[in-house]
Amino acid sequence: MFKPIIKFCASLLTLILVINCERDDICIEEIQESPDLIILMLDIENKTERKVPSGFSILAIGNNEELPSRGSLDSIALPLKIQENIVQFEFIINQGTSNENIDTLQINYKRFDSFINSACGFRSNYILEKQPATILNPGNNWIKGFTILRDTISDETNAHLGILH
Amino acid sequence: MKLTHTWVFYISLLSFCYSVSQENDNITINDSLNLKKEKSINLRVGFDLYRIILSRVSDDFDGFEIVGDFKVSENFFIALELGNLDITKQVEQVNFTTNGNYFKVGFDYNMFENLEGMNNHITLGARIGSSRHDQTLNSYTILDRTRYWTNSDLPITNGFATGERPDLNALWFEVVLNFKVQILKNIYTGISLRLNRLISDKIPSNFDNIYIPGFNKKTQDNVFGAGFNYTLTYNFSLLSKK
Repeated sequence: MFKPIIKFCASLLTLILVINCERDDICIEEIQESPDLIILMLDIENKTERKVPSGFSILAIGNNEELPSRGSLDSIALPLKIQENIVQFEFIINQGTSNENIDTLQINYKRFDSFINSACGFRSNYILEKQPATILNPGNNWIKGFTILRDTISDETNAHLGILH
Repeated sequence: MKLTHTWVFYISLLSFCYSVSQENDNITINDSLNLKKEKSINLRVGFDLYRIILSRVSDDFDGFEIVGDFKVSENFFIALELGNLDITKQVEQVNFTTNGNYFKVGFDYNMFENLEGMNNHITLGARIGSSRHDQTLNSYTILDRTRYWTNSDLPITNGFATGERPDLNALWFEVVLNFKVQILKNIYTGISLRLNRLISDKIPSNFDNIYIPGFNKKTQDNVFGAGFNYTLTYNFSLLSKK
């Protein structure tokens, strides 16, 4: 009479313990994090052609740290700010030469967050505004225009914004 | 007899009423002698002490559970639990409040053979549980492993995905193991362990039912959960002569 009861109690207790410590509490590496904006440097004369500017670099305004270098020279990942709807960068060509030209760019976007799970929290996604970028120092700009390739930034598989020069 | 005492000891240790239960074994023996030949209607009603104590102690928990069972035959009971819950939890990257009501209905079957005059139970039973609740997301953080901008790790506390998700529900099945000990005439303490299996739940938009009233913690990858209560019940016994 008692043995099966004891066995059952023991197994039920074990099961409850096992259930209470499962791997749910860890955010695994495979989960995609919040995406960055991917820009493409494109030729103004042929908007499908990639073109690498010479002596090209990007500086973030408001953070002296170097941008994490990802991608190539004509396809660049730019981290967007979570707390604001704008982010500003200096796009520099011919750096260090007498032809050095700095264009200050502001990228405009909206943010929306999507739930992943309790361990990872939320992923931030962005939508580029109709005017995705503005040049803050007009006059003698080397950047000639912008073209939205994909206005919803929810992954990093393809570029979102083309910069024409 | 020895085994019985082991059980009595074990259960009363759990219920922190060792001395009380020892004393009262005698009382119940004397008391029940004259009940033998009569059929009685037994309705046991009580509440969960654990949830009441937790409500007092914790700022993040406010809840109660009423329990009851009705004796159908010698070892068979129809059982019911009703509860209300308001709980705020920080689970990893999200902070949320779950608020709602639940009920559980089912049966208990007593497997414990009492000695003459004793009235303790070890029951195995099943329940169907159902809740109506809402989830309010208070704050969360955003997954960004390569944080470049400062303040990007601050939790989002308003706007965006925060806010209330009303009109949610859940349905589940429980296996219940219940120990009940009579500590005074007609007064019982009980501990139950519950293994839950979720049948269905209405998922809140852009969020999840991380916690469901009555079901407790819902995990992401499996539908099983666990629960427990610690009850104090009073047995209303109406005698009807055959």
